[in-house]
Amino acid sequence: MKFYVCIKMVPDVYAPFQIKDGELIMDADRMVLNAYDASAVEEALVLSEKHGGEVEVVCIGSAKASETIRKALAMGADKGSHIVTTGDEGFDSGSYANILTAFLKDKEYDVLSLGKQSQDTDSGLTGSMVAELLHLPYTTNAVGLEIENGNLIVKRQGDTGQEIIELPTPCAVTCSNDMNEPRIPNLKGIMASKRKPIDTIDLASLGISESDLSPNSKVVSFEHKPARKAGQKFEGEADEIAREVAQLLDTEANVI
Amino acid sequence: MEDKFDCIVIGGGVAGLAAAITLARNNMKFLLIERGEFAGAKNVSGGVLWGHDLAKLVPNYWEEEDAGWERYINHRRLTFMDEQSTFSLDFKSKHFNETPYSGVVVLRSKFDNWLSGKLQEAIDASDYAMDSFIATNIKVDQVLMENGKAIGIKTGEDEFHADSVIIAEGVNNLLTRQVGLQDNYVPADHMLTGIKEVIRFDQQVLEDRFQLNGLSGMSNEYVGWATDGVEGGGFLYTNRDTISLGLVLGIKDLREKKKSPHDLLNHFKTHPTVADAIKGGEIVEYSAHVVSSGDSRAMPKELYKDGILIAGEAANLLMNAGKAIQGMDYAMRSGILAAETIVTAKAKNDFSSTTLKEYRKALDDSYVMKDINNFQDAVHLLHTDTMQNKVPNLVCDFGRQFFTIKNEPTPKSEKMLLGAIKKHASLWELLKLGFKARKSL
Amino acid sequence: MSSILTYIAISEGKIKRSSLEVLSRSKAIADANGLACEAIIIDENASSFTDSVQNYGASKIHIVEDSIFSQHRNTPLLSALSKVMEASKPKVVAFASTEGTKDILGALAANQKAGVVADVSSFDLTSSGVIAKRPVMAAKVVGNVEVTGETILVSVRSGSYELVESPITAEVNTIEFSSSESDLKAKLREIISATGDTIDLNEAETIVAAGRGVKDEEAKSLITELARVLNAGIGASRALTEAGVYDPSLQIGQTGKVVSPQLYIAVGISGAIQHVAGMANSKVIVAINKDADAPIFEVADYGIVGDLYKVLPPFIEELKKLKS
Ligand SMILES: Cc1cc2nc3c(=O)[nH]c(=O)nc-3n(C[C@H](O)[C@H](O)[C@H](O)COP(=O)(O)OP(=O)(O)OC[C@H]3O[C@@H](n4cnc5c(N)ncnc54)[C@H](O)[C@@H]3O)c2cc1C
Ligand SMILES: Cc1cc2nc3c(=O)[nH]c(=O)nc-3n(C[C@H](O)[C@H](O)[C@H](O)COP(=O)(O)OP(=O)(O)OC[C@H]3O[C@@H](n4cnc5c(N)ncnc54)[C@H](O)[C@@H]3O)c2cc1C
Ligand SMILES: Nc1ncnc2c1ncn2[C@@H]1O[C@H](COP(=O)(O)O)[C@@H](O)[C@H]1O
Repeated sequence: MKFYVCIKMVPDVYAPFQIKDGELIMDADRMVLNAYDASAVEEALVLSEKHGGEVEVVCIGSAKASETIRKALAMGADKGSHIVTTGDEGFDSGSYANILTAFLKDKEYDVLSLGKQSQDTDSGLTGSMVAELLHLPYTTNAVGLEIENGNLIVKRQGDTGQEIIELPTPCAVTCSNDMNEPRIPNLKGIMASKRKPIDTIDLASLGISESDLSPNSKVVSFEHKPARKAGQKFEGEADEIAREVAQLLDTEANVI
Repeated sequence: MEDKFDCIVIGGGVAGLAAAITLARNNMKFLLIERGEFAGAKNVSGGVLWGHDLAKLVPNYWEEEDAGWERYINHRRLTFMDEQSTFSLDFKSKHFNETPYSGVVVLRSKFDNWLSGKLQEAIDASDYAMDSFIATNIKVDQVLMENGKAIGIKTGEDEFHADSVIIAEGVNNLLTRQVGLQDNYVPADHMLTGIKEVIRFDQQVLEDRFQLNGLSGMSNEYVGWATDGVEGGGFLYTNRDTISLGLVLGIKDLREKKKSPHDLLNHFKTHPTVADAIKGGEIVEYSAHVVSSGDSRAMPKELYKDGILIAGEAANLLMNAGKAIQGMDYAMRSGILAAETIVTAKAKNDFSSTTLKEYRKALDDSYVMKDINNFQDAVHLLHTDTMQNKVPNLVCDFGRQFFTIKNEPTPKSEKMLLGAIKKHASLWELLKLGFKARKSL
Repeated sequence: MSSILTYIAISEGKIKRSSLEVLSRSKAIADANGLACEAIIIDENASSFTDSVQNYGASKIHIVEDSIFSQHRNTPLLSALSKVMEASKPKVVAFASTEGTKDILGALAANQKAGVVADVSSFDLTSSGVIAKRPVMAAKVVGNVEVTGETILVSVRSGSYELVESPITAEVNTIEFSSSESDLKAKLREIISATGDTIDLNEAETIVAAGRGVKDEEAKSLITELARVLNAGIGASRALTEAGVYDPSLQIGQTGKVVSPQLYIAVGISGAIQHVAGMANSKVIVAINKDADAPIFEVADYGIVGDLYKVLPPFIEELKKLKS
C-alpha cells in the first residue's frame, strides 16, 4: 500500500498571542505539526508496518515547514515533498486543496490521508475538497483504519454512532486524532530523518500561479472571544458547598 | 562504529548551545540533545546576557533583523526600597550604545530557539553536516560509563556512543550527580528560587514609560522591601514590548519564614514605585525556576572526569553580588571553553582527565572563576540582614529627609544621615559593612 | 428571485433542532434582503417533515426522497444537493454543522465552485457575499471572515441562533432522484450506534460531563444518577472516551461535539482549551474539581473545589429536593 499523507504546519495553540488592531500576532517560531495530521501519519505508518507499503508526506508552506516534514520523517515516513510558498498568501482550504490536487493528479497511490481539520482554523474542508477534485471515493472523521483484501475499512465517527465504511483504493480519508496516539520521534528516528529525501517544489512547476489560488474566504480581523462574567468559587466543607451551589442553581441561575 | 560521536552535548540551553556551536565551527561530529520540544521550550528564565561572548559566537548579531534578543542595556539602576520609598543609583550612558553591546535582554524561549538556528547553520557549514544533530524532545536518562570513563548516553532503550560528553543540563544537575561529580545533597541555603512575570504593554507606552530609544533597554535590580524580609532581590528588565519582572529568593529563608514566592511577587508589585511601572500591563507569562546562589560551596567537587565536562549552571557557575545576576554569560563562556577542550582532546586523541583538566584551568584563568572567587564575600555580604533590610531602610529614610523641603530650618545632611543610621542600624555595624564592602566589591 | 437555501438534517427519523435554528436565521436574512427562504430535505421519507419545516418560514421546500438516505452516505447526499443547487441557483446554502454536513461541505463547494465557510457562530449577508464570525485557535479567538462567490455555503454551530417560528404554507418541490447501493463505490457496512436512548447532546438543555476524575464505577454511577435527576445528557472529555469509559460520540470539545446547553456540569474535568472549545458557550457552567487551580474554574460560573466522591452525593440529594 502506498500512502500519501498531507501534513500542515500550524501555529502552536498554546503559544502566547496578542490581538493588535484586529491582527492576530503569534510567536512565529512556535509552529507545530497539525495534531490531526500527526495521527494520519501514525496510522499510515502502523498500516504499512503491518501490511507492507510506503508512506510519503506532502506539505505546502514556507521554508520553515521543512521542519514539520522532518518531524514526520523522524516518525518514520519514507519521503517528503515540500511545496514551497511564502506562507503569508492568506490561502484558505480551497487554495490548498487546489495545490494538493495539482500535485497529486498524476501520482500513484492507494490511500490519500489528511487530517480532519487544521488545529488552528478548524475548517475541516480541504479533505473532501481534494477527494472531490480527484474524483476519489472518500470518508471523513476516521477514528480507525484497517486494510482488508486491498480495501480500506474506515471506522467513521458519525452523528449518532460509528459507521463502518469500506472504500476501494485509491481513496481518500480524513483522520481524527481520536484514532491513535502519534509516536514521538526517538533519537534514531531523528537521525534517520536527516538522510531521507525531501523534494522541494514550487507552484510554477505544478503549473499554477498564486493568482489561480486567490482564496474566496479570508479572515479580515480577529477579536477576543466574548468574555464570560467572572464566576464564584466555593471552597470548604464538601457537603455545605455542594448544597449551597445546588440552591444557587435554582434561586440565582434558575436552571433547575 | 558508524554512529560514534566525538562528543554528545546534554542540554540545549545557553551552555549547551555555545558548546555545540564551538564544536561545529571546529568540525567535530557531535550530538546535542535537548529535553524540551525545542531549544528554549523549557527555559523560563530570562534576563540580561552580559558581556561580549555572544558577539564571538554570532558575529554582528546586532545587524540581524529580528534576532533572538530583545533590547540592549544602556540604562542601569540599583534601587533600595522601604515600604513607601525607593532610592536608586541610576546610570545611563551613550557609551553603552556601542556594539558589541555590553548586555542584551533576552527571553529564553525565543533566544535559545534563535541560537539553535545559528547552531544548525554552523552544522550545515561543517564537514559533518549530515552526521551532527540537534535532537529535541529527547531526555537523556543516563551517562554511560565504562571503567570510570564516559562512553556515551542512554535515552529510553537507545544507547549512543561518543568519546566525550558535555553535561550542560542546568541547575537541576541530576546527571552531574549521577556521574559522581556532585554530592546528591546540596544544602538548600545554597540555592535560590527565581520567579518572573512577563508583562505586556503597547510598545509605544513601554518605550515612553522607560525612556527607551530604538532597541535600547534598561535593567533594574531591587533590594530591601521587595522581598519582604526574605533573603534575595528583585529585578525588572525591558523587552521589546514586555517587561520581565521578578524576584530571586533564598529557598531556605522562604521555608523558615513560611512565605510563598508567588505571594512575595504580588507583594513586590504593590510597592507604589513598581505599581507605577507596571500600570496597565497585561501578564502574559508566569514562571518559576531554581537558580544557584553563586555560593562557590555549592559547586561540584570537580568539573571534569574521564570523558566528561560540566558546563554552565550544571556546575553552579553563577554570580549574584547584587549589581547583576550573571549566569547566562558564565554558561556561554564555560560552554565555549568546554568545547575547545574537547577539540584539543580530539587532536591529541586523548579524552581522559589528563587532557580534560585543561578545561578547569581555562575556566580558572577566565573571568568566570576569577570573579566567582574574588566576589564570594560580596555574595555573602549581599545576603546579610544588614544589606537586605537595614541599609535599604536607612538609605530610604535618609532620602526622604534629604529630599523633603518643609519651609522649616533644614538640618545638615550629615545630621540626617546619622539620625537615619541610629534609627535603622548602628554606626559600628555600618563601619564594619563599609569595610567589608570595600574589601569585597 | 434568488434565494437562501437551508439544508434540513434528519437524524434517526427526527429533524435536527440545529437545522431549524439555522432555518430561523435564514428566514430573518431572507426577509431583510428580499430573498426567498427555501429549504431542502433529503431523507427516505423527506415529505413527512414538510409541515414542521414550513413552520419556520420556508416558502419553498425541495424534497429528495430515496431509501438510500436511510443512513448517512456522502456520495448520494452530494449528488442530491448538487442537483437541487443547479436547479434553484441559491445565493446562500446554510447548514447546521453536523458530522453529516462536515462530511460533504468541502466536496460540495468544490463540485459547485462555491465559496464556503464552516462552523460559524454567526453570519450575515453583505453586498459582496457573506460575513461570518467563527472561533479559531481552539476557540481562544474569534475570526471575522468575508466570503465571496456566486453561491456561498455556510455551516453553523448548533446553539448559535434561537428557534423562531413563522408559519407559512410552502410550495413543495419533489425532485426525481434514484440511486442504488450497488452504484456506490463506498460501501456502508454497518453502524455501531451509541448505547440506546442517549439524549442528543446538541439538543440537551442540561449536560453532565465526566472527565478523568471519574475513575471508577462508583463515580460513573454518581454521574448517571446526577444526569437522571436533571434529565440531562451525559457528555465526556477525551480522557474518558479514549479510555472507552464513555462512547466516542459523547466527546465534547474541539475534536468532539460543540454544545451550548442551559446548564453544563463538568465533573473531574481539568478544562484543557480543546475541551473548553466545545462547551464555553453553555449558559451556566458548573465545575467540580479537587484541584483549585484547574483551568476549568476560569470558565465556570459556579466552581466547587472538592472531591467528586464527597461533593456529588449531597449535590444530587439537594437537587432531588429542589426538583420535587
Ligand atoms: C528567574 C530567573 C532570572 C534570571 N536572570 C538572569 C539574568 O538576568 N542574567 C543571567 O545571566 N542569568 C539569569 N538567570 C540565570 C540563568 O537563567 C542561568 O544561569 C542559565 O540559564 C544557565 O544556562 P545553562 O545552559 O547552564 O542551563 P539552562 O539554561 O537551564 O539549560 C539547561 C538545558 O538542559 C536541558 N536538560 C536538562 N536535563 C536534560 C536531560 N536529562 N536531557 C536533555 N536535556 C536536558 C533543559 O531542558 C535546558 O534546556 C536567571 C534565572 C532565573 C530562574
Ligand atoms: C488537537 C486536539 C484536540 C482535542 N480535542 C479534545 C476534545 O474534543 N475533547 C476533550 O475533552 N479533549 C480534547 N483534547 C484533549 C485535551 O487536551 C485534554 O487532554 C483532555 O480534555 C483532558 O481530559 P480531562 O480533563 O478529563 O483529564 P485531565 O486533564 O487529566 O483532568 C482530570 C481532572 O480531574 C480532576 N480530578 C481527579 N480526581 C478527582 C476527584 N476525585 N474529584 C474531583 N476532581 C478530580 C483533576 O484535578 C483534573 O483536573 C484534544 C487535544 C488535542 C491536542
Ligand atoms: N498547507 C497544507 N499542506 C498540506 N496539507 C494541508 C495544508 N493545508 C491543509 N492540509 C490538509 O488539510 C487538512 C485540514 O484541512 P482544513 O481544516 O480545511 O485546513 C490538514 O489536516 C491537512 O491534511
